[in-house]
Amino acid sequence: MNRNVYISLGNKSASFFTNVYDIASLLVATIKAVPSFWFYRRQLIEQLYSFSVKTLPITSVIAIFVGLGATVQGVYQSTSLVPRYVIINTIFKSTIIELSPIILALVLAGKLGASLAAEIGSMKITEQIDALETMSLDPVGFLVLPRVIAGVIMLPVMAIFANFLSIFSSYFVSTIATSWISSEEFISGLQMGYKTFEIVFGCILKPAAFGGLISLLGSYFGLRTTGGARGVGEASTSAVVTSAVMIVIFDYYLGKLLL
Amino acid sequence: MISVRELRKSFDGQPVLKSADLDITDGETMVILGPSGQGKTVLIKSMVRLLEPDSGSVTFDGQDVLRLKRKPFREFMKCTAFVFQNSALFDFLSVDENLRLYLRMHNPSSIKVMDDEIIEALATVGLDRTVLNKFPEELSGGMRKRVAIARAIVKKPRYLFYDEPTTGLDKGNAEKISELIRALKARYGVTSIIVTHDIALMHDVSDRVALLKDGRIFFVGRRDEISPQTLTSLYEAGELNGL
Repeated sequence: MNRNVYISLGNKSASFFTNVYDIASLLVATIKAVPSFWFYRRQLIEQLYSFSVKTLPITSVIAIFVGLGATVQGVYQSTSLVPRYVIINTIFKSTIIELSPIILALVLAGKLGASLAAEIGSMKITEQIDALETMSLDPVGFLVLPRVIAGVIMLPVMAIFANFLSIFSSYFVSTIATSWISSEEFISGLQMGYKTFEIVFGCILKPAAFGGLISLLGSYFGLRTTGGARGVGEASTSAVVTSAVMIVIFDYYLGKLLL
Repeated sequence: MISVRELRKSFDGQPVLKSADLDITDGETMVILGPSGQGKTVLIKSMVRLLEPDSGSVTFDGQDVLRLKRKPFREFMKCTAFVFQNSALFDFLSVDENLRLYLRMHNPSSIKVMDDEIIEALATVGLDRTVLNKFPEELSGGMRKRVAIARAIVKKPRYLFYDEPTTGLDKGNAEKISELIRALKARYGVTSIIVTHDIALMHDVSDRVALLKDGRIFFVGRRDEISPQTLTSLYEAGELNGL
């Protein structure tokens, strides 16, 4: 029995390292395809549209309720010893740097990651990717590169939009709806200890990394799809689960490295 | 001239192609015939590296394509085209975009020239411009297959591979595809490599036939050289009667 456990552990470890190697290889192939991105500009425009317009409704809902929820929690935890604008400052920073990017990334990993893996996986099992090869087109350049560029560009755009909505909803619930704090105090809370790098980190760097990650993993699991409809389902699930785990891990290390 | 030597391919340790050898001369139509599951598709996909063979060589005019690096191989692939069993049209692109993709990427010319080439390819396969704005899902199986052939011939290939071109088609559509394969050979002088289990197609289009069973080619010759006993040994009795 012990032997079987060791064999199983060995197989799982080998599979893990093979996946890591393959993902790294796909990343390298994607970077190598960057000089030819102009060749695939039409695909890039389509992906930019998918990553923005199609995710706008879900991003808006998430952002508004992240702002509302964070503010309600902040107000609930507040005491008379801490000035209210300090509470707003804490809510603002935690929303911009942590809550908004990570929740947005997790939700979009579910939406975009699954759809990328399913789309590319369906192409794989219906030989459309083989057809690209026979047309002398690079599947990485044609399929992966536009998606990764779109993820890296559009997730920061969506994060800026989401952060704006979160702050506005926070302003709405704390000043207009409940009069817990005045507008002036709210704004001074936002301005307190302002650091441009924190905004860049929360609105651009982190979402860009998450966007690239979601696209790369969605494409990776799509490209290795085997079998039929079941294989496509498994690819989608793997893409979402792996992206979610990697986002949380990246979130920790990016904060540790850059802040 | 295409030469395949000792081509082997296995999946999870299970050999599917066990040392296949084959020579195909320029301009001929070679039909690789065999029942399902004998390694026909694996053979032609291995010849153009859609599958990486375990060993062996595939030379096109003396150039071993299995040894080519990625970039020169992509250049080489410009002179080949492949018609897939299920057509493999890009379902997110219209017929027009499916046909235009290769031209736009590799042979960019004026829109008028591209339009003319697309219309010519469609006319060759018996379709007209009314299908251009349709998506693959809006087409019948026979039309999809013809669009797939049109997509292949816009490349003006020297070598045209067909994977089970008549599978899933009714008798009328299968006959039209046979006629089309013959017409393409007459018009463009293309070297055609067809894998099929369809004996009627073999009779209709082949210059020579290779018989494949258990991952090995055991006969190569003209169709009139195939004895009924050989065919019987290739197919199960029931399978043969049904053909």
